[in-house]
Amino acid sequence: WWTSRWAVLRSFPSSASKKKGFRLFAPAAPELPIVERRNWLIHQHYIRKDYETCKVIIKTQLQETNGMCEYAIYVQALILRLEGRIQESLELLQSCAILNPSSTDNLKQVARSLFLLGKHKAAIEVYHEAARLCDKDWEISHNLGVCFFFIKDFKNAEEHLNTALQINKHDKTFMMLGKVHLVAGETDKAIEVFKRAVEFSPENTDHLSTLGLLYLQLRKYQKAFEHLGNALTFDPNNYKAILAAGSMMQTHGDFDVAMNKYRVAACAVPESPPLWNNIGMCFFGKKKYVAAISCLKRANYLSPFDWKVLYNLGLVHLTMQQYASAFHFLSAAISLNPRMGELYMLLAVALTNLEDVENSTRAYEQAVNLDESNPLVNLNFAIFLYNHGDKTAALDQYQEMQRKVNILQDSSSNLEFDPELMDMAQKLGAALQVGESLQWTKPGKDSKSKPHSATLAKSPSAPLGTNQALGQAMSSAASYNKNIQLPAGTVASRLGMTPASPPTLPAPHNQQCDGSPSRAWEKKKEAEE
Amino acid sequence: MTSVESGGDGGKWLDAHYDPVAGLYTFSSCVDLADLSGDGENRLVVGDLGTGSSGMKLKVYRGTALMSENTLLDLPAGLVAFFMDLHEPRIPTTAVASGPCIYLYKNLRPYFKFTLPSLEVNTLEQDVWQQAREGQIDPLTLKEMLESIRKKADVPLSVRSLRFLSLETDGLDEFVQLHKQQPIRRQTVITCIDTLKKSTADEDGVSCLVVGTESSDVFILDSKAFIILSKMSLPAPPTMMDVTGQFDVEFRITVACRNGNIYILRRESDKPKYCVELPSHPVGLVRVGKNVLVGCTDESLQGFTQKGKKLWKIVLPAPITTMAPMDLPTRGFQGVLVGLANCEVHLYRDKNLLSTIKTPDVVTSICFGRYGREDGTLIMTTKGGGLMVKILKRTVVFDDRDSAPGPPLAQSIRLNVPKKTKLYVDQTLRERESGVAMHRAFQMDLSRVRLAAAKAYVKALESSLTPMSASLSEPLKMNAVVQGLGPSFKLTLHVQNTAACRPVMNLAISFLYDENLYRIRDPYMRIPLLVPGLIYPVGTFVDCTNDKGITDIIKVFVLHEGRSSPLLTAHINMPVSEGLALS
Repeated sequence: WWTSRWAVLRSFPSSASKKKGFRLFAPAAPELPIVERRNWLIHQHYIRKDYETCKVIIKTQLQETNGMCEYAIYVQALILRLEGRIQESLELLQSCAILNPSSTDNLKQVARSLFLLGKHKAAIEVYHEAARLCDKDWEISHNLGVCFFFIKDFKNAEEHLNTALQINKHDKTFMMLGKVHLVAGETDKAIEVFKRAVEFSPENTDHLSTLGLLYLQLRKYQKAFEHLGNALTFDPNNYKAILAAGSMMQTHGDFDVAMNKYRVAACAVPESPPLWNNIGMCFFGKKKYVAAISCLKRANYLSPFDWKVLYNLGLVHLTMQQYASAFHFLSAAISLNPRMGELYMLLAVALTNLEDVENSTRAYEQAVNLDESNPLVNLNFAIFLYNHGDKTAALDQYQEMQRKVNILQDSSSNLEFDPELMDMAQKLGAALQVGESLQWTKPGKDSKSKPHSATLAKSPSAPLGTNQALGQAMSSAASYNKNIQLPAGTVASRLGMTPASPPTLPAPHNQQCDGSPSRAWEKKKEAEE
Repeated sequence: MTSVESGGDGGKWLDAHYDPVAGLYTFSSCVDLADLSGDGENRLVVGDLGTGSSGMKLKVYRGTALMSENTLLDLPAGLVAFFMDLHEPRIPTTAVASGPCIYLYKNLRPYFKFTLPSLEVNTLEQDVWQQAREGQIDPLTLKEMLESIRKKADVPLSVRSLRFLSLETDGLDEFVQLHKQQPIRRQTVITCIDTLKKSTADEDGVSCLVVGTESSDVFILDSKAFIILSKMSLPAPPTMMDVTGQFDVEFRITVACRNGNIYILRRESDKPKYCVELPSHPVGLVRVGKNVLVGCTDESLQGFTQKGKKLWKIVLPAPITTMAPMDLPTRGFQGVLVGLANCEVHLYRDKNLLSTIKTPDVVTSICFGRYGREDGTLIMTTKGGGLMVKILKRTVVFDDRDSAPGPPLAQSIRLNVPKKTKLYVDQTLRERESGVAMHRAFQMDLSRVRLAAAKAYVKALESSLTPMSASLSEPLKMNAVVQGLGPSFKLTLHVQNTAACRPVMNLAISFLYDENLYRIRDPYMRIPLLVPGLIYPVGTFVDCTNDKGITDIIKVFVLHEGRSSPLLTAHINMPVSEGLALS
């Protein structure tokens, strides 16, 4: 029935409505229909996204007025643009400009079309022209800012976006301004912008989750968690916030809570590599290694070139004592990211277990060369050297480790190290007969926090909200799991070096034949970040 | 009466009536409920847009039946029922806004027509038409002058001039003759209409009409004398209005405009007092208590204070088609009904979703109020023209759930993680036991593969087995094309000298093939001098002498006179011969 009604409309000639005009006021000369008489109807259909009906009405209206109805042409142009026919839309807007040369709306739409065509400079010119006709227009300033952002003129972009914010505050503008600051590398300014944005619209989950991620990058975990939590309160299905908050929960060992959150995300975005990586590391934290491997493999399948997933796969396989597989994952990770010391360290551990001493040594050397701040690398190398009888070199590595530990302690007052790392280091120190032992700060749960920082700092320019940033967040979480993990699997005691004191480690570790590799695990954890 | 499954929220609404072919094309602004006969029974008044260009009707429903129909002369933009005087019995008047006029109906009969005052006409335009009438200028000059007026003038041209400008040259004169005696007029069009109580807030108090026009004005009209009480102007044409208060005391008009902004007008000022810039166009505007709820095209519902401060925003599952208030004064309930493009109608109190009604079609207009003698009646029309009436159950309690409905459902769905298989466990154990051996075997094999690949590569280079010659003196390139279905094939070799400037001479081509399978007409061919860059086709015919569908490789060699090893080699995989050789 519906179609039949419109069929009637389509076949209807324009003269019919004119007749109505006659009947209304029928003097000698025909009364001409008012040009704007259907504008409201066109608008009503346009905003209801009923474009088919809209086009029919526009056609009737244009026939009736001989194409003199500006608004009908204007809406027709907008619809054409929505259908992707930007060029035709531009032509129509030009004819609108002839009918009404002083319309800013027209100019704005022309500029918008140019912008969509990627002609940012032309768009900027048209926007400037529109701004001359009507200053203090939020939309013009905002769009100018966006255009400048795309031609990488961040200074102008910032200026115009700030003008837009002065005229009127819009979520879009805040978001854009924050993005400009982030791309320009001004994280502090971006945080200020998002703070204002959250103040302006406290329930905008995009702002909340972005701000949370920024704090996470800066390692202000308390604030990060607060904002991410708020985002999740208003939108429990917010994928970005779920991943970030979940990774923080993982960091604190709340694997079950994190898994609950991930289940929601898994429904919303079932093919997200970072999500499956994090789920995998949750299983890892819960010591369900097989499930961890299948999740990580899924993440790897979805994103085969993500070295973090490969890193985690290598780590889990090391835990499972599947050294041959671990070797493959780690070498794949290294070919994707050849500048990371921890990866070489893990590879060295795998090679040690595969009894390839020569390559293991080379991997350790590479790891030590590349790594700048992680004492674990040197500790593992020292243990390896000690186990292979090279006490002098082991001592060198031990001292290098001490140096790194001291630097870390100087740079951060409340730094906490992994208890297993300290335990191993002390045992090694005893074995090497190094007199004074290191001053470790009180060990705490949060041991990982230190190592993360290095990796986080490496990619500060990564745009927020992208998988990369999420990846960072998650990998940091992942790394933590591993840390927790290690005590069980690693069993430092294996090393021949430390004689007596059976460590507090759980019994199972004794089963391992090769002592040395165990330390390596610890390092891996850190590397993951 | 048709009864239809009421779907999602069957517990709260009774299905009173559903006529899928009622043939109504209307918007929420053109639907109202009023006691038109003064008998205490409310009727449904609908301004039907017909086909959108003809067949416009004012329809009145009583119960489930169409009670009366009045033909409308133009598209109805809005419709309100209101009391225009204090006469007894208290019968409301229906005002239909269409074009520049308001048509008033009393007792379902046409009663009065009010036309909005004409707009100011451009004086220059008037002058030139005057000159045309007196014959001082010809139509072409008139056209030029009007053209130049249009470019600069602040006041737009009248319909007549616009039409005149759009005419072809041969119709100009006739047009001028026909129209020149008429005075020039510019009329505007009403885009929305609402009522405003004059001096009392009583239910049946006398109201004024509030009218928004295409010329971006808002008029308040006295309904007794039909004079303009107040005129206010806006930056853009209004699309929807909400009016509250009394004209004589204090009132507030919230207007959504075509530029996507919402303006708030107050009694004292003829300019907007507050402005809300929305991120997208408003589709619905409803006031609930002191707050204004706006539904936008970006699938969101937003709440604002009456001063335009944003309170909250919720995201809806589908685009909004229409919105209407739901007032149940007897229970002190106020909410908003939102029609969505996914065939649902949502009921919100503030930002809390109270109820969802599933409808068989997309709802285009909603009206809630007293119909017949039933207070809580929901009337909806659909995109297909259907009319639907639902009655709110009297026992219904809308519990005020919090907007945070606890953990999302997805949280309880198990993750899709595959079970570990016995094979996997076995493989894992095997790797643990003999990982070292596996690794060594792998490394060994890897080295062997690399060695084999390197050997093959060297061999290919040494024996010129590649179709590219790497030698410095004769850099050549060749490719071969086999055409035909068999048993005869045409074999064409394209030979190119890739050197920068040196020609190559003394080349020949020969073939190596299984003579039991193929016969080549010219097994040895001389190649002419090769000029650098040009591609030389060298062709011959190959006959397949075998009828068993066997194929083989033919090797092509490019030879240099006096040298035993070929410059290049190509292997041609011959296609299966589709035909039999003639013996």
